[in-house]
Amino acid sequence: MPFAVQLSRVTKTFGAVVAVDDLSLSVPEGAVFGFIGPNGSGKTTTIRMIVNINYPDSGELMVFGEPMVPARTGLIGYLPEERGLYRKMKVRQLLQFFGELRCGHKVSAEVDEWLERLDLSRCADRRVETLSKGMSQRVQFIAAVVPAPRLLILDEPFTGLDPVSADALRDAILYLRQRGATVILSTHDMSVAETLCDNIFMIFGGRKVLDGSLESIQAQYGNDTVRVSVSDPGALANLPGAELIRDLGQAQELRIDRSCDPQRLLRTLVERTGVNSFSVAKPSLHDIFVRIAGPGAADA
Amino acid sequence: MRKILLMAKRDYLESIRAKSFILGLIVAPLLFGGGFLGIAIIKNRPDLRDRRIAIVDRTGAAADLIIRAAREKNDEEVYAKGTHRQVLPRYVFETVAPSAGDGKEQRVALSDRVRSRELAAFLEIWPEALQVEPKLDAENGGKQAARVAIYSNSTGVDNTRNWLRDPVNRALRRLHLGRLGVAEDGQEVILQSVPLSAMSLPVRDARTGGVQDGKKTDGSEIAAPLGLVMLLTMIVMVGTAPMLSAVTEDKGQRIFEMLLGLATPFELMAARVLAALGRALTSSAFYIAGAILVLQGMSMLGIVPFGLLPWFFVYLIAHVIMLCSFAAALGAACSSPQDAQNLAVVLVAPIMIPYFLLVPVMESPNGTLSTVISLIPPFTPPMMLLRQALPGGVAWWQPWLGLVLVIGWTIGGTFAAARIFRVAILMQGQAPKLREMMRWAVKG
Repeated sequence: MPFAVQLSRVTKTFGAVVAVDDLSLSVPEGAVFGFIGPNGSGKTTTIRMIVNINYPDSGELMVFGEPMVPARTGLIGYLPEERGLYRKMKVRQLLQFFGELRCGHKVSAEVDEWLERLDLSRCADRRVETLSKGMSQRVQFIAAVVPAPRLLILDEPFTGLDPVSADALRDAILYLRQRGATVILSTHDMSVAETLCDNIFMIFGGRKVLDGSLESIQAQYGNDTVRVSVSDPGALANLPGAELIRDLGQAQELRIDRSCDPQRLLRTLVERTGVNSFSVAKPSLHDIFVRIAGPGAADA
Repeated sequence: MRKILLMAKRDYLESIRAKSFILGLIVAPLLFGGGFLGIAIIKNRPDLRDRRIAIVDRTGAAADLIIRAAREKNDEEVYAKGTHRQVLPRYVFETVAPSAGDGKEQRVALSDRVRSRELAAFLEIWPEALQVEPKLDAENGGKQAARVAIYSNSTGVDNTRNWLRDPVNRALRRLHLGRLGVAEDGQEVILQSVPLSAMSLPVRDARTGGVQDGKKTDGSEIAAPLGLVMLLTMIVMVGTAPMLSAVTEDKGQRIFEMLLGLATPFELMAARVLAALGRALTSSAFYIAGAILVLQGMSMLGIVPFGLLPWFFVYLIAHVIMLCSFAAALGAACSSPQDAQNLAVVLVAPIMIPYFLLVPVMESPNGTLSTVISLIPPFTPPMMLLRQALPGGVAWWQPWLGLVLVIGWTIGGTFAAARIFRVAILMQGQAPKLREMMRWAVKG
């Protein structure tokens, strides 16, 4: 299988801090690849190394089978988490500037196409400083994808977007994948990672802790999650073989141990309170994330 | 190089279209030349009210002679020759009989008259003024005791003191000469001063062998060199100083990380420096073209040192590159406008230090101090240009050596600045520390 990005035993330190520790990773071409991990775990450092902003102290980093050098930055579209634009420039002018910077030729047609796709045509001649936050974020997204890159790296692209803008961005990401682009998507939104990503990679303390498809990751944990909706949530306390791990308001998630029989658990619950719904499931990505990086993780 | 040029073009066009640039083209010369303009205006519009001076003459013989000498000076200077228009204030005098005792009470009374502006000042002439050997004042650390004192409400650089120096000394010399038995007619011959005419050096024409005699100089020959150096300083200052805050501001707005996905830190910095250089060259072309047109209109084109213009531009380019790289590195290391403000003095120092050294260098352009200063790379552009432009010039090898040193310094400085820029540009929330910046410059 061809890989868009391959990291082999990459380490990066800043002074005494090891930001990325002996990391190996392969991102398949054409995939939407989710990067998850708590703040300060090494996600951004890893991304910056792929984009050639930071250099690894040791290890090997290949992009489309070749070492990453400045001349190849045109292959990558990069939307950083901390992003800003020239506020005095007009939108179309700014996007043409970024596009030309990436590929070396005029990109007027592509810019107009993307402005249309993300419903920004009417703002094309406005200065960036006059745009709303959502509009600015869509402009930043276009700046990262014009002209279509082979590898697109998006660091928290959905932060602060309203549902309509978020849907437009999601469609745009899928459109790019359809056209053959590989997408690395760094996100704290586990539902986005679950629904959008073909593969998920989790980094914690600079080390890889998860890598695979959602199904393969969930399979590692088995069907150890029960989602219930009950009349009296207080009845969920002190259940034998099960503990409440998340209260979603209208529903609750329980984690059951291997000795716990879900049928017996359901009977116990019915004896205690009214049960509106009961399902046995694999753990959500959110749950897995918390199990790895939650408050008790350091002791585990 | 394509990316550098593209980013530089964007930065350059954005900045020269800004109102602040156009405004700066007009305001900067006023700020830099404003001091000189102000002095010229004040000098042409002096306070023409009479200045009354009281004389307390403890010699009993000097007052009349001082008043006579002052009247002669008034007649010579107060009215413009030809137009008879008053151009300077007239000094008028009154004599006050010395009081008995140490005179303290009298001095207080006269001081009150000065404070009430009835008098501009009062003179006190002690008998020691007529002694050949000055008396030493034991209470004043063995220094000379005052022989003639002027009391006023002004500072020691007040013009009244300067004006009175000549009549007072002339009067005292007349007294001495009279005591020595020199007749009054003879005294004038002795007291007259002969002006020294300043001449440029004669030159022999290499082709014809003829000698061109020296020309009378009146100080105006330093106008062009000084103007050229001030123009260089002004353009470098105006072109460089905003770089620091602009980089800090763009860093604060998180623009750089978007760009770092497309260009290297060195390319980003080089584009910034190139745009600043473009601005500086645009400004200098504007000013030089304007100056040439004005001087042509005034039939004074001859004072333009055309031969030095290539050196001017070479030094300008080196100076701007050197300082803008430095400014970009400092700006990258700052996390807030306050940090940038604190560091501005570090950036401005290499521009302003030569400015304060203009006078000593002009007084002795080929002295050791001038030569050494003009070969220190950060100071070379203005200092060497000044020395080259002054009459007499410099040894042929000095500008070339200075240029080699400046180029070496610029390359080294830009390289170190690029390293600092690369490390610092994505750092947030840390105030810049000199030691850290030095480490980044050396190790990257």
